[in-house]
Amino acid sequence: MTKKTFLHDEQIKLGAKMIEFAGWMMPVSYSSIIDEHKTVRENVGLFDVSHMGEVYVYGKDSLAFLNKLVPQDVSKLTIPKAVYCQLLNKNGGIIDDLIIYKIEDEKYLLVVNASRIDEDLNWMVRNSLGFDVSIDNQSHNYSLLAVQGPKAPDLMEKMGLKKESQPEFFSIKMAELFNINLFVSRTGYTGEDGFEILVKNEFSELLWNYIIDEGQEFGLKPIGLGARDTLRLEAALHLYGNDLDEQTTPIEAGLGWSVSKTKTADYNGKEVVQKQLEHGTEKKLVGLKMIDKAIARHEHEIFYNNELVGKVTSGGVSPILGENIALGYVKNIKDICTGGIVQVRIREKLYNAEIVKRPFVEKKNKI
Amino acid sequence: MSLTEGILCSKTHEYLLEKDGKYIIGLTDYAVEQLGDIVFLELPDVGAEFVKGEIFATIESVKAASELYMPISGKILEINEAVVDNPEILNESPYEKGWLVKIESKTAIIDSVDLLEYEDYKEELA
Repeated sequence: MTKKTFLHDEQIKLGAKMIEFAGWMMPVSYSSIIDEHKTVRENVGLFDVSHMGEVYVYGKDSLAFLNKLVPQDVSKLTIPKAVYCQLLNKNGGIIDDLIIYKIEDEKYLLVVNASRIDEDLNWMVRNSLGFDVSIDNQSHNYSLLAVQGPKAPDLMEKMGLKKESQPEFFSIKMAELFNINLFVSRTGYTGEDGFEILVKNEFSELLWNYIIDEGQEFGLKPIGLGARDTLRLEAALHLYGNDLDEQTTPIEAGLGWSVSKTKTADYNGKEVVQKQLEHGTEKKLVGLKMIDKAIARHEHEIFYNNELVGKVTSGGVSPILGENIALGYVKNIKDICTGGIVQVRIREKLYNAEIVKRPFVEKKNKI
Repeated sequence: MSLTEGILCSKTHEYLLEKDGKYIIGLTDYAVEQLGDIVFLELPDVGAEFVKGEIFATIESVKAASELYMPISGKILEINEAVVDNPEILNESPYEKGWLVKIESKTAIIDSVDLLEYEDYKEELA
């Protein structure tokens, strides 16, 4: 049974084209993906991402428990900050990528991918033996709205959250907008400055419509999953299921920055991760820019000197660069990974592409 | 005269229009609307021959790639270079500027028996 978010009917009214995604009916676009993409890069866009999962972890051993699950050092996390990390299996493979927010002492909020909620919960419960901890899935009670783009801080200010009281990058705070109590965090999945707003389902429609109204003067538009994907690809942000999976470690995925090098606590997969940090990996995530006129997509094969060296995991157009870009895994050989010219096989033909630095478009959210 | 007068549509959303003994093939407005922003188009070489139902072109929107099927058998006489260079033309004008190929066909009448007139095609979609 496909689920609907509490904003489904509002989106239909706004002309959304709906698709099924991770068991949810979600808007793929309202006007045009390219137009929506540019709106977020230039002004501000509003996303319904209520399909995402929200799980509270609390109790005396919550810190020790989370520290066992992820390679980040959760003991460094202070209220009201957040950290991006991954749930790892015993082999260092990524079960999911997520953000952990420290809400209170011994209370954390985990925001996880819609497609992985069940696996995440199973894994957490299986790992909870011996820990005094509660795992409370609240996904069904919350809606998540994202307000993203350079004008997001101005819009939030107009809605009652003054700039000086807006949360800092990768922080969260309780706030009140239009007399609705909610959580506001300075996070997103676009590479732009912006906020994510966690609100109880019963208030989400009210909030959505307020934001649409107040956002008019900033050029705000509703944005679908299509542009969410092109935005995150330009920012080279990983998509679980495409760029990350249980056979891939954070080191291979270029997420070494989110792995603590000093953490003393043991965590699932630590042995593999440590070994890879010391000795390197066989495969590596790279960015590709197409030289020939063709669009690389998920699962297309990558060749170097006529040898199959990897696969594209995400690919498409960059509306900002006007070029075709992709993420993929290739053999970790210097000649390939630093500026190598490779060929991507698309519909039985080979097209040249260059390995380039990530992200493809400069991120604007490091404030 | 309406833009869709005289056109025949396939269930895979290609349209066919006879003009001066030649046949124009394109993609219906419904298909174009569903695809969203069209960003890439690969058309066959002039002179290539295809049988009805064969893949003759690839079209990519921001979201994904789709293949296009010949609504009838025939030989490519002309391709629309303008849409290859600027695929967004398809979104703006699928029936005029956004045509894809012109072909000659000896079997057009027999091949088009399962194609639908525009009104019937629209009804099928509803």
